[in-house]
Amino acid sequence: MATERAGTWLPEAGKLELGSCCGPRMLSPERLALTDYEYLAQRHVLTYMEDAVCQLLENKEDISQYGIARFFTEYFNSVCQGTHILFREFSFIQATPHNRASFLRAFWRCFRTVGKNGDLLTMKEYHCLLQLLCPDFPLELTQKAARIVLMDDAMDCLMSFSDFLFAFQIQFYYSEFLESVAAIYQDLLSGKNPNTVIVPTSSSGQHRQRPALGEASMLEGVEASLFYQCLENLCDRHKYSCPPPALVKEVLSNVQRLTFYGFLVALSKHHGINQALGALPDKGDLMHDPAMDEELERL
Amino acid sequence: MPSFPILQRSSEEKILYSDRLTLERQKLTVCPIIDGEEHLRLLNFQHNFITRIQNISNLQRLIFLDLYDNQIEEISGLSTLRSLRVLLLGKNRIKKISNLENLKSLDVLDLHGNQISKIENVSHLCDLRVLNLARNLLSHVDNLNGLDSLTELNLRHNQITFVRDVDNLPCLQRLFLSFNNISTFESVCCLADSTSLSDITFDGNPIAQESWYKHTILQNMMQLRQLDMKRITEEERRMASVIAKKEEEKKRESQKQSLLKEKKRLTINNVARKWDLQQHRVTSIAANQDRKDSDSPSQDPCQVDGSTISAFPEETGSLDSALSNALQGLSVTDTHLVEVDGDTLSLYGSGALESLDRNWSVQTAGMVTTVSFTFIEFDEIVQVLPKLKIKFPNSLHLKFKETNLVMLQQFNALAQLRRIDQLTIDPQGNPVVSFTLWKYYVLFRLSHFSMQKINGTEVTQNDMIMAERLFGILAHVASSELPQYRLISILGDARKKQFRYLLETKGKKPGVVSEENNDSKRLVGENTNRATLNYTTRDFYNEKLEEIKEKKKFCKMYIEDLVKEATEINMKNEALQKLWPQMFIELVRDAVIEIRNKSSYMKLCLQQITDQK
Repeated sequence: MATERAGTWLPEAGKLELGSCCGPRMLSPERLALTDYEYLAQRHVLTYMEDAVCQLLENKEDISQYGIARFFTEYFNSVCQGTHILFREFSFIQATPHNRASFLRAFWRCFRTVGKNGDLLTMKEYHCLLQLLCPDFPLELTQKAARIVLMDDAMDCLMSFSDFLFAFQIQFYYSEFLESVAAIYQDLLSGKNPNTVIVPTSSSGQHRQRPALGEASMLEGVEASLFYQCLENLCDRHKYSCPPPALVKEVLSNVQRLTFYGFLVALSKHHGINQALGALPDKGDLMHDPAMDEELERL
Repeated sequence: MPSFPILQRSSEEKILYSDRLTLERQKLTVCPIIDGEEHLRLLNFQHNFITRIQNISNLQRLIFLDLYDNQIEEISGLSTLRSLRVLLLGKNRIKKISNLENLKSLDVLDLHGNQISKIENVSHLCDLRVLNLARNLLSHVDNLNGLDSLTELNLRHNQITFVRDVDNLPCLQRLFLSFNNISTFESVCCLADSTSLSDITFDGNPIAQESWYKHTILQNMMQLRQLDMKRITEEERRMASVIAKKEEEKKRESQKQSLLKEKKRLTINNVARKWDLQQHRVTSIAANQDRKDSDSPSQDPCQVDGSTISAFPEETGSLDSALSNALQGLSVTDTHLVEVDGDTLSLYGSGALESLDRNWSVQTAGMVTTVSFTFIEFDEIVQVLPKLKIKFPNSLHLKFKETNLVMLQQFNALAQLRRIDQLTIDPQGNPVVSFTLWKYYVLFRLSHFSMQKINGTEVTQNDMIMAERLFGILAHVASSELPQYRLISILGDARKKQFRYLLETKGKKPGVVSEENNDSKRLVGENTNRATLNYTTRDFYNEKLEEIKEKKKFCKMYIEDLVKEATEINMKNEALQKLWPQMFIELVRDAVIEIRNKSSYMKLCLQQITDQK
């Protein structure tokens, strides 16, 4: 399936088994074509190994007390459970898709009560909450997420927890993908040939998200079908994670034309994409976490 | 031409009372012509209705002239009376002192009960001893030069507000100022310079109602013998001087206080300016030049009245010096300010944090219950919190203004203190206050303090419940979901042992409660489940990340090597797998070939055995 090819590691219901892959894939030609090192890197095994050894070095006095084997057990258990990203630095949190998904899940679990309480918060305050879990989380990401919710309008507006959370999920999990999409969108807007190879640099993309309204044609945004073609190309070539193209097609099939932020909002609200990501529950169940409630009851 | 009555006395009367003539109550409306009495010396016109002084120019021997209680409107007709010594013009309607030029021998001049509003035209009366201007319309007293013999000056019942030139009267002994409008001593300060004055009255003036009246007069007029018609005793004089000294001191003290206040205000302004520059990242050369860091704080001025101790890092000269000099010294900019005012310690500017290292007296430090930080970065304050905990153990109320509190996480740093009852975060310069949830987060993170008030509002039970509800999960996650090694590393050395002990005892049966368990629980002092929520200042955090970079590089290389090794081994393993069948066949073939020839094989084996020996 195209999804698997893209290299997305899809955790199911928060549980992850390292090294699990379906039988037929073991001998797939693409897999054997990679060198050992490349294969391991693609599966992010090396990221976790390196981080584990690094943590070991950091805390060797304490860990030597109760043994290295136990340490590794704990470490990889926490990776499985998605708690390894708590209070870690941003560079680690964004290192793998699994880390990103775990972080999203952790954020949801910790602050779902804020949403339940009904408080509407500003972008800065959500950023503060993010910083409680990750001290050096960059403000730009939060800002970009807020822009999705507010449609690039009045950045001081208040947002609801669910709106922000789903927009943040899209922005954070697929941030590289979104950058490329932004570049494609700009090109389409300015009428460039969509089939030329676009190599997005880090400086491009997000700055140009604001469509030049003065120059735009009478119709807003770009044509949906053309847009989808470009995205499909992108997904094929992309080495970062992308949303399942089938679902993207679904999003784009509903409209004739759409703007960049319209597209992002549609992505964030799409149930299917959320489920494919697997980090957060459906919007309707957002305020419920029976597992957590049970644990709290026990205490 | 109006006709005047002509007066002629009988020769008997003329001989009996040759030098005096009394025309009292004669219903006279004009002065009669007095014929043939040129040697008259005393003339009495009291209680008549005379409107003008006339027809007496021929009485050039007159010494005594009494026109009391008439209707005279103007002093006139006296120019020939060069021998006149006593002139009584009380209770008339005179509006102006004039036409007295030739009366150089005048000894007593009585003008009481008239409408005179100004003292004038008397400077030539150098023999005048008594001047009565009571019950007139005088509003002030000046123009008194020339009256070199004046001994008594009666100014009662006027509207006098100030008195001048009295010190020009060398012989003045008695001065009556009762029932006027004098309210300050400054308005009669010339009296202090008069050495001759011995008797003075001020009763009926506003000044006499003041609390400082008596001793101010006595202190400034040491030469007085009587005040308000009462003899001044030695006791009174002594009291006056004591009180005056006290007032002087009080004035000096308040001057000092206002000087200190001014200096404080300038310092705070300067600190504020520097803070603004810092915040807006505006480079200013002037600011850098003004900056004067002082390493050794000068001696504190001594405690006065036990109320205020101020300490400035730069003392510019003695504070007792003249006001203007000291004020000039104030223009030197100070970069920070530390002030202890009873129970409040106020720190302005980041340099003030150094003052926590100073040797504070136990009494002073023990009295401080409130600590206020202004114009200091919160990250810098965090670093001195341990010192604060030790040096000011009773500080229960912390106030922050313009301290750049921007994120909730920063409140985690306050958890290390012993106790906080009240917290005041001024919205000015602290963006965190604009967040909806900030108070709840504070209550949650610092729940072990049981805070009473935040920003002046009482903390209710509902607030605490809400705080737990909002952030309780965070605490649960932060404690129970972190792997043990991470918990320990986050909590740091001090808590390692305590926490580890607690975790170890977790496994014990719930019924068993050991002594040590309770002790360590008390030692920890706060909810362990949120103890992992720490705050490291941005700089420290970045430093730490930098340090880790080296380790990360090493780990990467190490893992790479391991991977290389593993893949090599894997390859070898796979290669072996491939080659093994062939190898096995060859091994078997070789063995079979060897054993084929029994006898030669036996020989070979024996050979091998002997070789081994």
